[in-house]
Amino acid sequence: MGTKILSKKFYSEMSKLEPRYPNKVALLLPALHAAQDECSWLSPEVLAEVGAYIGIHAAQVREVASFYTMYNLKPVGKYHLKFCTNVACCLRGADSLLEHCEKKLGIHCGETTQDKRFTLAEEECLGACGTAPAMMLNNDYHEVLDIPKLDRILEGLE
Amino acid sequence: MLDNMESFETLFIQHFSEESKPIDYYLNSMRGYSALKKALGMTQDDIILEVKKSNLRGRGGAGFPTGMKWGFIPKKSAKPKYLVCNADESEPGTFKDRDIMRYTPHLLIDGMAIAAHAIGANIGYIYIRGEYTRETKILNEAIDEAYKNGYLGKNIQGSEFSFDLTVHRGAGAYICGEETGLLNSLEGKRGEPRVKPPFPAQAGAFGGPTIVNNVETLAAVPFIINRGGDWFSKLGKLEKSGGTRLFCVSGHVKKPGVYELPAGSVTLRQLIYGYCHGILGDKKLKAVIPGGSSAPVLTADEIDVIVDIEPLMKIGTMLGSAGIIVVSEDYCVVKLLKRIVKFYAHESCGQCTPCREGCKWMEDILHRIEDGHGREQDIALLLEVADNINGKTLCALGDAAAGPVISFVKKFRADFEAHIRGGKCPNV
Amino acid sequence: MPKCVINGREAEFSPGQNLIEVAKQAGISVPYFCYHPGLSVVAQCRMCAVEIEKMPKLQTACSTMATEGMVVKTDSPRVLQAQKSTMEFLLINHPLDCPICDKSGECDLQDHSFNHGDAYSRYTEERRTYMDLDMGPVIKKNMNRCIHCTRCIRFGTEVSGIHEMVALKRGNDTEISTVDGRSLETDYAGNYADICPTGSLTVKDFRFKKRVWLLKKTPSVCEGCSRGCNMEIHQDANIVYRCVPRENMAVNKFWMCDEGRFNFQYIHDENRLIEPLVAEIHQKNAQLIPSDWSIAIDTAKSILMGKKTAVLVGSDLTQEEGTLLQQFLPQHLPDAEIYHFGTPGVVSTRDDAPADRLLKRRSKTSNLNGLEKLGFKGFEKFSQNIEAVFVIRGGKAILPNLSGLQVVGLGVFEKLQAEKFSVVLPGTSFAEKDGTIVNFEDLSQKIRRAILPPGQCKSLSEVLMMWTHRKKSFGAA
Repeated sequence: MGTKILSKKFYSEMSKLEPRYPNKVALLLPALHAAQDECSWLSPEVLAEVGAYIGIHAAQVREVASFYTMYNLKPVGKYHLKFCTNVACCLRGADSLLEHCEKKLGIHCGETTQDKRFTLAEEECLGACGTAPAMMLNNDYHEVLDIPKLDRILEGLE
Repeated sequence: MLDNMESFETLFIQHFSEESKPIDYYLNSMRGYSALKKALGMTQDDIILEVKKSNLRGRGGAGFPTGMKWGFIPKKSAKPKYLVCNADESEPGTFKDRDIMRYTPHLLIDGMAIAAHAIGANIGYIYIRGEYTRETKILNEAIDEAYKNGYLGKNIQGSEFSFDLTVHRGAGAYICGEETGLLNSLEGKRGEPRVKPPFPAQAGAFGGPTIVNNVETLAAVPFIINRGGDWFSKLGKLEKSGGTRLFCVSGHVKKPGVYELPAGSVTLRQLIYGYCHGILGDKKLKAVIPGGSSAPVLTADEIDVIVDIEPLMKIGTMLGSAGIIVVSEDYCVVKLLKRIVKFYAHESCGQCTPCREGCKWMEDILHRIEDGHGREQDIALLLEVADNINGKTLCALGDAAAGPVISFVKKFRADFEAHIRGGKCPNV
Repeated sequence: MPKCVINGREAEFSPGQNLIEVAKQAGISVPYFCYHPGLSVVAQCRMCAVEIEKMPKLQTACSTMATEGMVVKTDSPRVLQAQKSTMEFLLINHPLDCPICDKSGECDLQDHSFNHGDAYSRYTEERRTYMDLDMGPVIKKNMNRCIHCTRCIRFGTEVSGIHEMVALKRGNDTEISTVDGRSLETDYAGNYADICPTGSLTVKDFRFKKRVWLLKKTPSVCEGCSRGCNMEIHQDANIVYRCVPRENMAVNKFWMCDEGRFNFQYIHDENRLIEPLVAEIHQKNAQLIPSDWSIAIDTAKSILMGKKTAVLVGSDLTQEEGTLLQQFLPQHLPDAEIYHFGTPGVVSTRDDAPADRLLKRRSKTSNLNGLEKLGFKGFEKFSQNIEAVFVIRGGKAILPNLSGLQVVGLGVFEKLQAEKFSVVLPGTSFAEKDGTIVNFEDLSQKIRRAILPPGQCKSLSEVLMMWTHRKKSFGAA
């Protein structure tokens, strides 16, 4: 393989984690998380590099990565908004929040704005049902949302 | 309604605040790690016996007696044994484990070290759902503190016992809350449930004997060791359920949230109208899902039931993970069921035929009915598809999708019929 | 032996046997898709669900080990209903394109649907469809037909050792595929099609060539290497359409390599020489021209007799052919030096070794061990002064460098191989004869004639008979 995409930090983090597991394949999920934190999405090249590091076939990396919804196998915007629309959030108005956001950003669920700033997604239960409706903005939770609160959050983003 | 609520002891909830996180708080205000020290002086059999006496039952959903589960682990094993904490908390309507990890991480670490000692495991993992990034950070910080203070690592507190604990993040898959799906995910694979037998206690993580316990279950262990299994058992008000329980109430109640109550001490009505102050906007109650979205639904007439394993089972539903979802009269139950089934279809791993094909089919039929394009025969078809999934899948996800369908249609058949006959939702 | 009861019938079993196998032994067939005796058990398709006394839920027979006294029902109303519903689930998204599907006629999905399914469907939703990317030269994928049994994935990870077939996404969207249209890497790709219980993975070479129910099947053995994988030759109207592996747990289990699978293609190669040929003498760049058997044999004799001659006996010949030559050669070419040959670098069985982790052997001929046992010596080089060589082989032994020598070839050759030969006596391939071959583990196995030889090709015994007969008539004259 040519030049590496993933940083030294990635590799040192992984070698710190390695003794924690009885085999290297178990590092796959942590490695994909770390790679995504660096690259914001998991391109085929990144997946190949992760596979080479762990010592498994590129197909196996894709097989695992595509099973989980948190791994972005397509590019995402700078701000990745993931609205929970599961039961408890729906009962508390998640649908109208999502609809509001779609209108405001001018995109549908699953799309990214042309300026690559926002990606809008529908998410399954975030485990924040007591503080519904909830959403994730990148890695952070925002709970007990309503439209004014959502607007304030969006306006606070650069 | 609140009048007949007596005072009782709680274990967790008084500590659910930001200041409880550091190890100093845990050591000073919660007799932190005294249970571990005590357990290190006990034999493995004695610890397991104490947990058996406590009538602690798994808080993840299945309600299996914890002491008995630990007893399944072989004493000797050629392969390393593992203790895994199931912190996937993926059943919609459930959010109690998050509070435990967020506010009292050391309680979980303490409980895990004791459990690991009891089963003879030197390696432990906390499999936490990927979305809980903040809780992951808190746990990692707490684990560092525990290592520094000699509660994790080699020769804990000068004993022979060593225990290494690692937080492993999931990545967005409900099915990883199923223990064998979780183990596959831990091993770097797709989170597909495994064929059982072998059960994890024989061959679990990395082929070694493994115990998988829920967060709340493990967090209860220090209390049991400190104050005795009999004491813990008596906290519960039913014969077979010891301790207190964390109830998660969400949906159309005025005060949703986590409530800690003695196991078997309260009815659904008391929870909803007492502790949670009744229905939002003082509307009428339509339905209650008592144990996470996979639990069969109850009508407003069925809420005078004690919220615990056996009483709920007796009326055809389940306590599950104690995630109680309350629905008021103005929300369409067809829409609600469609959303529930959509979730299970989305989360089906796709391995086994009835779940992979059937869940999506049910979703399609429900979509049609909700849209007003349903046909007379659709209700019967829906029930038959559900029946063909129920009890016929590799893991419990099939039942989780079929149970709600069967119960919703049975209890709210008129709503479904109204959609079909009227060609639209009668509420709109 | 412990016993259990299946459908009221006592069935013996050995501990560790699953209910599918135990039932099979007792003559009761339990339908299944994902189960395969050569792969791990995943219990995914749920087709083999059976009723077991004292167990409230139906159990999958593939993942349930028989125990003493277990009472099993494979034909109770509950079981039949479960089978019917599994068939319905499997077919709701299946295209039902049996009329144009190559698997039709040997398709588990089709057969089980016939035996256990319902005649009509209640499904009115849009069927799930996929876009298929290429998977290389051997296998054609049609994901719409797939029933997600994952046999192919398990074959890759567990048998061929390459994790190249994978399940992408999950749930109802799960797609079984290689990644990004990558070609399959394994040398055993044909097995993917064999184990596929539907027409999702088919062999490109066989596509649209023949309806399988028209094929006549002859059990035989592969001649591709010294393993001797058991196989079936499938032919119709004297044309071989394909070879498929035949189960033999002692030799190849259920598998066969692609090299062996497609080896048969030379039988019908348009460049195969199927009539006696003799080089025009007295010309510099002599061309082989069609002749008849008598002239060709006479010419062969005149080239080989009375000269310093060597005989190369292909280790792709059978024991019967080897024995025949041991009788023939001392009489007719008494001074000739005789060697067996087959694979460059493999002079004797000592040089033979595994060529990969699964089946392939270094010896590229099937009967090296047998000919060695008959006493033939391996070819390394000719003695000095050898002028002429008699090459006798099937179609597989690889010719050594014969330049500068006069060559008579008896066996299966193609145009380019025989370009410099003086005489070609067209013989028979493995599919055109009966015989015995001995594999590297001393196992004697039978190959069987599936088709008649093409053109004027003759079996070795016929050719040697003619040779002998004509000598006598010459001698009398």
